[in-house]
Amino acid sequence: MAQNARSRKADKVVERMGRKLTRQMVGSLVGCVHCGMCTDSCHYVLANPDDPTYAPAHKADQIRKIFKRNFDWTGRIFPWWVHAEDIRTDADLEKLKDIVFGKCTNCRRCSLNCPMGVDFATLNRMARGALVSVGIMPEGVAIVSKDQWEVGNQMGVLPQDYLETLEWLSDELENEFKDPAARIPIDKMDAEIVYAINPREVKYDPRTISDAARIFYIAGENWTMPSEGWDMTNFGLFSGDDELGAAVAQRVYDRVIKLRGKKLVLSECGHGYRSTRCEGPNWSGKAVPFVIESSVLTMLRYIKEGWIRVDKTKNKEVVTFHDSCNNARSCGFYEEPRELLNLLVPDFREMYPNCAENFCCTGGGGAMSMSEYTPQRLKSAKIKADQLTATEAKTVVTSCHNCVDGLSDVIRHYKLGMKVTQLVNLAANAMMIPEKVVVPVEVPIPAVALPLAGFKILVVDDEPDILTFLAAVLEDQGATVIQAVDGEQALALTVREKPDLVTLDLSMPGRNGGYVFEEIRNNPEITSTRVCIITGKPELRRLIYERPVAPPEGYLDKPVNEDTLLTSVRMILELKHPHGNA
Amino acid sequence: MSESLRFVSDDLQLMAMSFMALVYILRIRWLLKFKASRDRQAPSENRDASSFKGIVYSWANIAMPWSMESTRRMSFFYIQFVVFHLTMAANIGMSIVIPYAPGLIRPMIVVRLLQILFAAACAIGCYRMFRRLSNPAMRLISTPDDYFSLALLTVWSFVSIFAAPNRPDLGEGLLMVYFIMTAFFLVYVPFSKISHYLYYPFTRFYFGRTMGYRGVYPLKRVTQPKPTNR
Repeated sequence: MAQNARSRKADKVVERMGRKLTRQMVGSLVGCVHCGMCTDSCHYVLANPDDPTYAPAHKADQIRKIFKRNFDWTGRIFPWWVHAEDIRTDADLEKLKDIVFGKCTNCRRCSLNCPMGVDFATLNRMARGALVSVGIMPEGVAIVSKDQWEVGNQMGVLPQDYLETLEWLSDELENEFKDPAARIPIDKMDAEIVYAINPREVKYDPRTISDAARIFYIAGENWTMPSEGWDMTNFGLFSGDDELGAAVAQRVYDRVIKLRGKKLVLSECGHGYRSTRCEGPNWSGKAVPFVIESSVLTMLRYIKEGWIRVDKTKNKEVVTFHDSCNNARSCGFYEEPRELLNLLVPDFREMYPNCAENFCCTGGGGAMSMSEYTPQRLKSAKIKADQLTATEAKTVVTSCHNCVDGLSDVIRHYKLGMKVTQLVNLAANAMMIPEKVVVPVEVPIPAVALPLAGFKILVVDDEPDILTFLAAVLEDQGATVIQAVDGEQALALTVREKPDLVTLDLSMPGRNGGYVFEEIRNNPEITSTRVCIITGKPELRRLIYERPVAPPEGYLDKPVNEDTLLTSVRMILELKHPHGNA
Repeated sequence: MSESLRFVSDDLQLMAMSFMALVYILRIRWLLKFKASRDRQAPSENRDASSFKGIVYSWANIAMPWSMESTRRMSFFYIQFVVFHLTMAANIGMSIVIPYAPGLIRPMIVVRLLQILFAAACAIGCYRMFRRLSNPAMRLISTPDDYFSLALLTVWSFVSIFAAPNRPDLGEGLLMVYFIMTAFFLVYVPFSKISHYLYYPFTRFYFGRTMGYRGVYPLKRVTQPKPTNR
């Protein structure tokens, strides 16, 4: 019997697959005629013309053959005739993992180009879910899923870090408008809007939170942010784990209900929008009793109804717009961002193809957290790079945090010299501050102290280029920077120099960063030294957080850019104001 | 007409068709056993979005080559698709017309038109076989059923060229071959990829329903302006 020859995990995968099959999926599994029309719609295929294994139909066949062998009579009776094949060993499962996670971003472009309506992205997600249910998944997916299950958000942001970030952003807002009411309300009952965000904003891009807060403040909105259930992203969408998807979405819904919020507004995040707005009710099996909308719609309404006024000439750059796959192809959300963008910039140039036909940023489907597939991801990004270049724009706007990271990687890798921004940033920049909240212009201070002046920072990395980059960025802000190229040197310098902060690479020859970190924490003389881990291997993060010592104060994934680094350093050093006023 | 030809053109066809219908019913019953997922989310903010529109658009998709990038870019392939599928429908029609209403294909113009169609389908079949064998991606995804189904339809089209005049008085051999092939085709179809037309309404219905509800269908896009010669 075929079933007896299977490994236990393979047996479970087939069983789970059987339970996950819906009529739509079965239609997609039996409906493919192998016409090849989908082939050229995939960016992986276009960037790898000599490798036919990237063809969507071939990738789908790796799932289809298991289905046919186990659930379809043609495959049971004549397996060789229709290429039906069982999955038997754990090695087979690993091979399938590399296809469903490493060779597809679930962007759904092939689905839209299939004459039969075969929805490969849905099949791929189902297969991911079946594999995840037996623990077969990329390390990064396991880490992020664990964080979302246990900590409540996919980046492991601790509650105090989240609240402290909102606190210092509120301080900045209050300071900017010289108005004690200009703060981010937390857990306010009966607010019109409950605003949920992507944890990436807390960790790497708090500017987007403060920009949104400025817009809500100027609009005079009755809004709040929840202290829990604030992460509207959902790794269940990427991992195919419907239970995680349902739990995460429900966590957000429950909080809105508890706060008696009228509307849940989601910050700009493609997969977050799709998960929370569209798929969440399907995963959790019940409808949501309040309105959910993207912040793009909220901003558009504010402008159209005169809640805020904008001056588009304040955004001078030539911009193009990248449609997130989840927004455009899975939620039909592509006209509103364009309408808003046209109100915010004077020179908007379309990217071709666009809307639901746009190409993936190549970082979708959780690809950014799967470092083992980075080389093939970046190779396939050539298509996106060419698309971006053709626009001749200097700035690419997107309405998705995941796309911000994906596009930033593409731009860096292909040296396109572009920058990525979001609509909220453009809206905040273009917003005209009404008279009543205009801040009086202060007399300029002749000599402004550099923000990091007086701080001593030890940067540790075995790669000279990165060391030079980190040192230069921090020195430019006034910090005194000491450098170490290995673990031993780092420990010695930490003891001798007592730096305010150590930025620590994890993967180094000799004593690695994990060892150094634990030594710092265990040495009473330097145990309170603040540490920011900077690593190119997100899968090593677990090793740090599972150590029996206090966690590091910060954590950054490589490649790290100047803004992200400075934001994190500033947060870690608790710099609300230039040094001396903190 | 001999008794043998009468049998293969009539009784045998009815048996084959009944068998095909029976298997199709079982197949649809099997498909409907799987639970259909629902869209529980609130309707799209797009006021034009509707499941109904999405379904209609999705079903009509195949007749709108401009609606998909794949058919826009592969227009030659799309034309082949149209000719090939129309010919298959005409061929099945002919297999019914010959025994039951032969007068319909008596005019020479009709015979010639059918022969042109069958010859075109035969040529397209040969080209598609070449494409399937020569293109590495196509070769990789092709199953024995894909090759056999295509070969079967190509040969059937070829034989149909000679069956179209419906002249048993000039020799029954080719008509016998044509009807036996037709019967075999009808019996084989439910087990092969040729039965895709049975699934098309289902896959397209569900895909269109979701995409319509979410406002993705009907697709909209901003087209690239053509370069001017200034």
